[in-house]
Amino acid sequence: MLSEEERKEIEAEAGQYDRKEAGSVEALKVVQRHRGWVSDEAIRDISAALDMTPDELDAVATFYSFIFRREVGRNLILVCDSVACYVMGYQGVLDSIKEKLGIDLGGTTEDRRFTLLPISCLGQCDKAPAIMINEDIYGNLGPEMLDSILSRYK
Amino acid sequence: MIELTINGIKVQTPPKTTILQAALANGIYIPHLCWDRRLTPYGGCRLCLVEVEGQKKLFAACSSPAENNMVVHTETPKLEKARKTVLELLLVHHPLDCPICDKAGECELQELAFKYGPAESRFAAERKHDPESLAAPLIERNPNRCILCGKCVRVCREHQGVGAINLLGRGFKSKVSPAFEETLDCEFCGQCVDACPVGALGTKPFRYRSRVWFLEDKENICPYCGVGCTTTLSLREGKIVRARGIDGTGINEGDLCPRGRFGFDYIESEHRLTTPLIRKEGNLQPATWEEALGYISERLSEIKSRFGAETIGAIGSERCSVEDNYMLKKFMDALGSKNIDSRAHFGYGKISEALKKAFNIRALPVELNAPLKADVLFVLESDLTSTHPIYGLKVLAAKRDLGATLLVADPKQTKLARWATRWMRIKPATGAALVNGIMKAMLDEGIYDKKAEGTHGFDALKEALAKYTPEKVSEITGISADEIRNAAKTLASARNPMLFASIGSSENTKGTGTMLALMDLCLLLGRGPEALGLPAEFADTLGMLEAGVRPEGGLNVEDMLYRPNLRALYIMGENPAVTFPDAAKAEEVLKGIEFLVVQDILLTETAQMAHVVLPAASWAEKEGFFVGATGKPQKFIKCLPETGSSMPDWQILRNLGRLMQLDMGAKDEEGLDAEIANHLSLCFREQAAASFVPVEQAEMEMPDSGHPLILATGILMQHSGSLTTISKNISSAIADAYIQVNPRDAKTYGVVDEKFTKITAKDGASIYVKAKVTDEVPEGMLFVPAHFAHARVNLLTKPSANGEAPTVAVKIEGA
Repeated sequence: MLSEEERKEIEAEAGQYDRKEAGSVEALKVVQRHRGWVSDEAIRDISAALDMTPDELDAVATFYSFIFRREVGRNLILVCDSVACYVMGYQGVLDSIKEKLGIDLGGTTEDRRFTLLPISCLGQCDKAPAIMINEDIYGNLGPEMLDSILSRYK
Repeated sequence: MIELTINGIKVQTPPKTTILQAALANGIYIPHLCWDRRLTPYGGCRLCLVEVEGQKKLFAACSSPAENNMVVHTETPKLEKARKTVLELLLVHHPLDCPICDKAGECELQELAFKYGPAESRFAAERKHDPESLAAPLIERNPNRCILCGKCVRVCREHQGVGAINLLGRGFKSKVSPAFEETLDCEFCGQCVDACPVGALGTKPFRYRSRVWFLEDKENICPYCGVGCTTTLSLREGKIVRARGIDGTGINEGDLCPRGRFGFDYIESEHRLTTPLIRKEGNLQPATWEEALGYISERLSEIKSRFGAETIGAIGSERCSVEDNYMLKKFMDALGSKNIDSRAHFGYGKISEALKKAFNIRALPVELNAPLKADVLFVLESDLTSTHPIYGLKVLAAKRDLGATLLVADPKQTKLARWATRWMRIKPATGAALVNGIMKAMLDEGIYDKKAEGTHGFDALKEALAKYTPEKVSEITGISADEIRNAAKTLASARNPMLFASIGSSENTKGTGTMLALMDLCLLLGRGPEALGLPAEFADTLGMLEAGVRPEGGLNVEDMLYRPNLRALYIMGENPAVTFPDAAKAEEVLKGIEFLVVQDILLTETAQMAHVVLPAASWAEKEGFFVGATGKPQKFIKCLPETGSSMPDWQILRNLGRLMQLDMGAKDEEGLDAEIANHLSLCFREQAAASFVPVEQAEMEMPDSGHPLILATGILMQHSGSLTTISKNISSAIADAYIQVNPRDAKTYGVVDEKFTKITAKDGASIYVKAKVTDEVPEGMLFVPAHFAHARVNLLTKPSANGEAPTVAVKIEGA
């Protein structure tokens, strides 16, 4: 079941277009903003609200890497693996995060504090290697800086 | 017309067509994998690339409009190179498991790779190793072979109006799947399988059955509903191993429904009758044809001489051929009895009766493509995409592809209701009242066609409609008066309106009155019968009626089966004990009949009560004509030898007639062919004469506090009568009756989804079926399909003496 708030926000998004399904990506983002991810049940509910079939909306949802179809942690770590970061020390940063959190790319810590994901480019090539946690960007990283950065996220 | 040059040949093509369409229509082949005549262009496979003079880049012919004076080349070295690369890329991930792929030999990718493709690839890449999806009934999916052309997804959504599958994921991980990668649970029409250019989708009954080059294909007419589709049967060593719709073939042009694609295997049921049976010492025992026919001849002659021919009756079949029914009629004529009727009495017979009153015609063939020419389509309480799937698709196409307005009045959320421009969710069996209300609104606002005033009965209509004010009708139907007025306005403003309804013999929410109301509306719109789409139910319903299997001056099925009027009854291809309403009463009367002969392909519940049972050859084991809803005789052919010693129905009757020394006319097959040809040429020649016949909203049984729900019985898209229930293929998809209950009713009466539920009628008769809790049905209404013998739905139903909707009020409780 969509919450009252979610339903209102979805309707507002969908109402901007001639056809409700044009608001599908925004609707998925609404639910993800409220719940952190989009479950199968949520797909069914949103698709009904947008006059779509569940398979259509699932096709949209699974197309976008950042619509999460599995539960993720409270904080999202995105490690840039594009060329500039790659040559400037990506591997060391990634290995260090993996070791500290005990998870692999795509994994979530048991306490649901972090989920670790790759990203193709953060646009921070001048400050490579870079990562993004939630909405915050960190550049010119070295493995030794990670403890203090990670400690800011609970 | 647009004129362009393709490969040096000047061709013409209508406006708004593409280069590909122009080329194909003029016999120029351009390779393509993702294009389908029925679908919007997709431009995904990039194989249909062509060169256009004066343009630098290559054009995808499937999605480039043809333009005047265009000069197009479809085979050049540049194109060959491009196509080779496209194929090379398509084959990068393709498993090349052709030796074990059922599609090999008729695979479009295989053929194109053979024609253009490089023998070696410059690319090395990962191949997919997804498991096949075999859990769903009838349809198998192998994602590894998929080239992601999306044809299946689009045919399901765009053409079939379902949307059960989609392309999930992105890039290498993309695959065709239902939402959440669940097991496929859809209509199982199999249109996606025929659309698939490779072996990614297949039908399970054909899995590993044969290499396609060992198959012999035969085009035959589908034996199920009235549409009369051509289904292409593939035979291997004397067995039908699959059925397909081939693009452009038959009046269905390649579309098929679950029945036509999967229902063919009923003929090889292990329960088929192989020899005549005679009841001796209480049991049915095998006998020779001579014994059986001799015995029938003796008993019928005896009954005729002692009690008169008027104590003998016959029931024909809407599934048998024109020849079979023609011969049955001749046999009864020769015996001297006019007692001949069929199950159509409960179905198309009601439409026929209404036609007789309103237009003075007996039958009204439909034109399959007529819906495509209409701008406003009104469907009254009829689930056309289930009862006549391919005809229903045309209604859908008119709305979706051609922008027509689709008005659907139905309590049930049918597929057409989901796609409708406006869905009027009326209470069950209130169709006549709704139409009366619409007509009243038109009269009030003066928006009817003025030439209707000159039609006979106009004043009587006006008077009768006085009380059907939109407000009053709103009370009866449960929809608002404004909705009724809007429907009236929409219909009145139509340039070319069409009105649709069907009555299946197992449907109980419509009657002669409903049809008459619709015909009145048709006349009030200033239209004739051509604006009515009232398709006949089965493959040979019209053929049977025209062959004379209808009660003219004799007893009808109600007189024969619900009242003890007969001494002897001859039933051909019908199973009244299960498929007729009030089965208990019919069974009682059947048991009391002195001499019962049943001629069928199986030992049906009715046959088990017979004194003599005769084995008949089934469809595909004999040839003959069907005259379905379109009124056009279509010849079906013999593909297989008869089962056991069974014989075509008409031959049995001819032999019996000979034995009884009756004059049956034709002496041999050629003689019969000539007689039938002559007979068919005389069908549907009646001249229509229109008159208004006002009707009242009538229901047989109204719900009350003790029995608060209306039970609607009806037809599923996957099934046809009880015949499909012996098809293993179809049964693998739906094998059991269920009752649809609205969630609110379920809560009120303690009914739980998937659990058995007791349904009790006013006379105390009750059945148990599993509940399906769904808002497809409104509060106060239950829906149960009537196909399944063991569910005994017809213990609850009743025939209706006056042809009205024989609704049933029931109560339900969780069991």
